[in-house]
Amino acid sequence: MNDALFSQLTTLGSSVILLYGFTLLWRKSLHAYTVAFQWQSVMLTGLFLIIGYFGHDVELYLVAGFLFILKVLILPRYLGKLEQRFPGERESRPYVNVATSLVVAGLLVLLAYAITRPLVLVSDLPTRGGLPLAVGLIFVGLFVIITRKKALTQIVGFLVMENGIALLAVLGTYGIPLIIELGVFLDVLMGFLVMQVFVYHIHDTFESIDVDQLNELRH
Amino acid sequence: MIFFLLLLPPLIASLLALLVRPNREFVGWVSALLSLISFGAAITIAAQTIAGDVPIWGLAINSLGLEGVLRADSLSALVLVCITGVAALTLFLSSGVGRVTHYDAKQLRRYQIFINLFIAAMLLAVSANNVGVMWIAIEATTIFSAFLIPLTLRKTSIEASWKYLLLSSVGIGLAFAGTVLAYFDFVSRSGRVENALNWTTLMATAPSLHPEVVRLAFVFLLIGFGTKAGIAPMHTWKPDAYGESPAPLGALMSSALFAVAIYAIARWKAVTDAVLGSGYSNNLLLALGMLSLIIAAFSVVRARNYKRMLAYSSVEHTGLICLGLALGPLGAFAALLHLVNHTVAKSLMFFLVGNIERAYRSPLIERVHGLLKVLPQTGGLFAVSLLALIGLPPFGLFVSEFALFRAGFALNQPVLMGITLVLMSIVFVSFIVHLNKMLYGTPTEGVIAGKADRLWNVAPLYISIGILVVLGLTLPTPLAILLKQSVEIIAK
Repeated sequence: MNDALFSQLTTLGSSVILLYGFTLLWRKSLHAYTVAFQWQSVMLTGLFLIIGYFGHDVELYLVAGFLFILKVLILPRYLGKLEQRFPGERESRPYVNVATSLVVAGLLVLLAYAITRPLVLVSDLPTRGGLPLAVGLIFVGLFVIITRKKALTQIVGFLVMENGIALLAVLGTYGIPLIIELGVFLDVLMGFLVMQVFVYHIHDTFESIDVDQLNELRH
Repeated sequence: MIFFLLLLPPLIASLLALLVRPNREFVGWVSALLSLISFGAAITIAAQTIAGDVPIWGLAINSLGLEGVLRADSLSALVLVCITGVAALTLFLSSGVGRVTHYDAKQLRRYQIFINLFIAAMLLAVSANNVGVMWIAIEATTIFSAFLIPLTLRKTSIEASWKYLLLSSVGIGLAFAGTVLAYFDFVSRSGRVENALNWTTLMATAPSLHPEVVRLAFVFLLIGFGTKAGIAPMHTWKPDAYGESPAPLGALMSSALFAVAIYAIARWKAVTDAVLGSGYSNNLLLALGMLSLIIAAFSVVRARNYKRMLAYSSVEHTGLICLGLALGPLGAFAALLHLVNHTVAKSLMFFLVGNIERAYRSPLIERVHGLLKVLPQTGGLFAVSLLALIGLPPFGLFVSEFALFRAGFALNQPVLMGITLVLMSIVFVSFIVHLNKMLYGTPTEGVIAGKADRLWNVAPLYISIGILVVLGLTLPTPLAILLKQSVEIIAK
């Protein structure tokens, strides 16, 4: 009974997390991206707590705490500052339009189901149902980075991809070793800080944060 | 203990640069001298591994799993010597000798802080026993180097660093997903064990892992670390980043960082092969290696910028090393020897190119004429090392490329080797053509040779040339043992 509940909760949680990833594809304002990422991280924290509770792993509570501080409090704050700095910027004309993006993302999730089949087969964890969704989220994040034009959207895509990897780790293994987890958080934070510095640089030198202007380097 | 001597010097140097503001000249000298300590430590580690020891160090803190967190076997030792060697050369050339005078004090301070952190992260990546720690360190190299590419803010340098930062972060993220998948497989087989992510534990349990999962994990890992190594088609950041970086950073990235990424791939290949047999990873590496060679050959022909030309040559050598890794023990031997040779030759090239760019104030081949007249020292060295880089005797790269072909023919791959030879000849010819344009002709007007070309200022580079010649004429016994031991680790 408990296992059934646990399994349903994690699959549900993973689905919601994936859906927040999809939001990036059809919303256009940078503010919506921040909010989507923030709520996705809230859900992810919740999922860590659920898995910590049912899986009897106290360490996961600690990780959930760090995750909450980093991805719900700190990063969205910085993202908010960036948005305010560039109020007029919208993702109005991505390389791939919204309808096509949604279809492609749907196909990517199907692909994720196909390639994670062996994973689901070898695992006997109650959480295995969410594994394809986690890989799907990684692909969606990647897709956002490739097809969106604003530097800021690409950063959010990167963060969403990171969330996908964290989801994969917690579903598949009930969390990677603590020390690695902390190292990864530190890297994500530093990587994000560098990227946001670059957004300012890009804006100062190119007078916009469209990355399709970055095309001076050839041969 | 030895690991302290290896890892602390760059950290101390970085801290010193952070504390001294504004930047003073002595900071550069101190960090150059400190880099010699690291180099000495790496040599000591190499000597220990040759003697059959495996230095290991860890913290005994409960539940953090840090016992035996640092470990250096022959393969690590080989790469450590490469990294610390290039690092020492870089720091000496960028402090007193032939120094980067066109940067102001603030930029120099930033340079000293991050170049040392960058070196420390590379050393940690190679001496980490835990694949997770290795991953964290490699990701850190991306971040630190991204601070350095735009030392001067220009449109092009910002473009290059943004592309580099994004592509590398995504790539390294995929590598992490691969690491997680491998760990997932480990956990579903043997439960949650402390130190499950240590190389030693992974290798020991590898035969019992699930082939299907490992197959998937290796694809992620190869794409991920392959992005870092610049294997085609994930190489697109390379010409941009190498073209825009300050020369010392270009030298470190093209030689040391590249070696780190290849190291990660070779390690994971060993784990994968223990599960699947070597056929699977070999085929992937052969395909990507060939693709790298093809793309490199055609890009070198069209290159107009000599720094980007070197980046494409780097893609070519990446391809050769991938081929080597895929061609059994003989090939792995050739690949590792080639890695050493490439480290020496490529770093040398970037220092020289730095001098050329400073004198001619342009990275374009068509703007550089009469190199031998304007910069006799640099020009001569440039010609010699370019010939070494394209694999002429009596330099080391000739030997390792020859060994590679021997490995290929031994495995009955004449077609593959034939195509490789054709592609290498294309690179060869177009390099000679480009070199001719640069060396001779009437010197471009308004070019000032400056201090950088004096014999004393390029003298350290003769060490690199010397190493290349030695490696071309003979294979010193310690190196041979180290290579043999490394091959036993990665190719069975």
